[in-house]
Amino acid sequence: MKISEDTLKNISLLSKLEIEKSMKEKISKELESILLMVDQMNEVDTENVKPMSHPLSKAQNLREDLVSEDIERDEYIKNAPQSDDGYYLSPKVIDQK
Amino acid sequence: MNDIVSLNLEDQIGLLEKKEISSYELTSLYLENIKENKDLNCFISLNENALEQAKVIDNLKDRQSPVQGIPIAHKDIFCVKGHKTTCGSKMLENFISPYSSTVFEKLDNSKTIMLGKTNMDEFAMGSSNETSFFGKVKNPINPLKSPGGSSGGSAAAVKANLCAFATGTDTGGSIRQPASFCGITGIKPTYGRVSRWGMIAFASSLDQAGIFAKSALDSAIALEIISGFDEKDSTSINSKVPNLKEETISNMEHSIGVPMEIIEKIEDVNVKNNFLESIKILEKNGFKTKQIELPFLDYSLPSYYVIAPAECSANLSRYDGIKFGYRCDNPRDLEDLYVRTRSEGFGEEVKKRILIGTYCLSAGYFNAYYLKAQKIRAMITESFKNAFKNVSVIAMPTCSNGAFELGSIQDPVKMYEQDIYTIPANLAGLPAISIPSGYTEEMPLGLQFIGNHLEEGKILNISHQFQKLTDHHV
Repeated sequence: MKISEDTLKNISLLSKLEIEKSMKEKISKELESILLMVDQMNEVDTENVKPMSHPLSKAQNLREDLVSEDIERDEYIKNAPQSDDGYYLSPKVIDQK
Repeated sequence: MNDIVSLNLEDQIGLLEKKEISSYELTSLYLENIKENKDLNCFISLNENALEQAKVIDNLKDRQSPVQGIPIAHKDIFCVKGHKTTCGSKMLENFISPYSSTVFEKLDNSKTIMLGKTNMDEFAMGSSNETSFFGKVKNPINPLKSPGGSSGGSAAAVKANLCAFATGTDTGGSIRQPASFCGITGIKPTYGRVSRWGMIAFASSLDQAGIFAKSALDSAIALEIISGFDEKDSTSINSKVPNLKEETISNMEHSIGVPMEIIEKIEDVNVKNNFLESIKILEKNGFKTKQIELPFLDYSLPSYYVIAPAECSANLSRYDGIKFGYRCDNPRDLEDLYVRTRSEGFGEEVKKRILIGTYCLSAGYFNAYYLKAQKIRAMITESFKNAFKNVSVIAMPTCSNGAFELGSIQDPVKMYEQDIYTIPANLAGLPAISIPSGYTEEMPLGLQFIGNHLEEGKILNISHQFQKLTDHHV
């Protein structure tokens, strides 16, 4: 599978990643070699096989939605790069025009 | 001093029980050894309160757990409240966990002392420990060699006697391959046996926590403590944890499955011969072996390199520079903040895997890649199921080579091939262990046993029996 410039652009856009110009060729080549290895899957006939998304076939455990411990908001907010009075700060997203 | 820190866990427990040594003394010895071996770069951070905590534990009236007072290390992927948890990434360089992982809590409630948090490949993505933002770890046996990855810091720390045992995580081999490279024992239990709560996610359907120790018996003691149902992890198995120590030392009979078709294809003669010799040792001592077939195992690697990156690309979308972690300087707008935060905060390997995962999940490719990989995963799991109808454990090498030189593997696919023998157990969610089985060019090799669902006791037992017959682990 060839990773074209457009494809790389598209997946970096979806991933919210920017690939440096000088790295583009190297990354494309490496992605291609990984996908070439992955393409070996096509040798296997998987007709009528049920896909397996998880090693445990049973349903996930659910628990009652109860408060189980005290969560200190300030402890969590301390990790935010920018916060103000208990709020997370981000650049403005509403266009005022 | 080296005598005491190099003792196995059982013997250290004995000394503590008889009060021939205090936890404070033991902790001091380890801290000293950590300082002396700083060059190995095993730790990302140390616990400044370790000695104080040891003192408190020494003052307890009675022993409340077998491992009370034992100094250990945690992979820096486990959240520990109030401590840094970096996951080997610049993205989390300054992240202080607001809560603790279940693995840490269980060991903390058992009164172990956390010496520090160990170095690892960034977000557990790597097989050499070279992708860590905090620099590579060196193999204690030969500092020019890789300790393996991603839990390389934990493996090297156990080998170099910097802790009594250590925790790790294994998504595709990240416990077993470093255990093999460093010549120690490493076990990844059944998927769901150990809670993933507070363990930073890489690929959620594959990630599982486990233990590095000096022997199978030591691993059994530690693994039993961290195992068990946890309602905070929706994929935790609600099944009673057996007495693993008892199962490990019991007289079990085994029928060992050997996938000869795979063994015959091993290119490295030393690896192949070492494996066959290990099997011979077991046969000579009365263990039955049986040739088995594991069709589709060759397709584990391609299937894994769709599933793991796909799950990684979803899991790592949380690093957006808003609520925690790194944020870029002076963002122009929100989009610029997201893109630059992630581009500056993640290392090259992590970015590559996010890109691969995003590609495989993107419109038009989902069926060809993700669905196909999930179907192959089902077929591999089925072939294990069939094999276990006739055998109690399956034996394979852990890795197709011994520890390689740091910096010597540049091709990503070559690096991924490090995990060809370990990935199948992750895909099928089965327990697997690596134990030392000999050497190639003066570096250790590992023998791997894979067990059936929830049968950690069986692989620990056969490993213990092998370790009674050999001295590769001492």
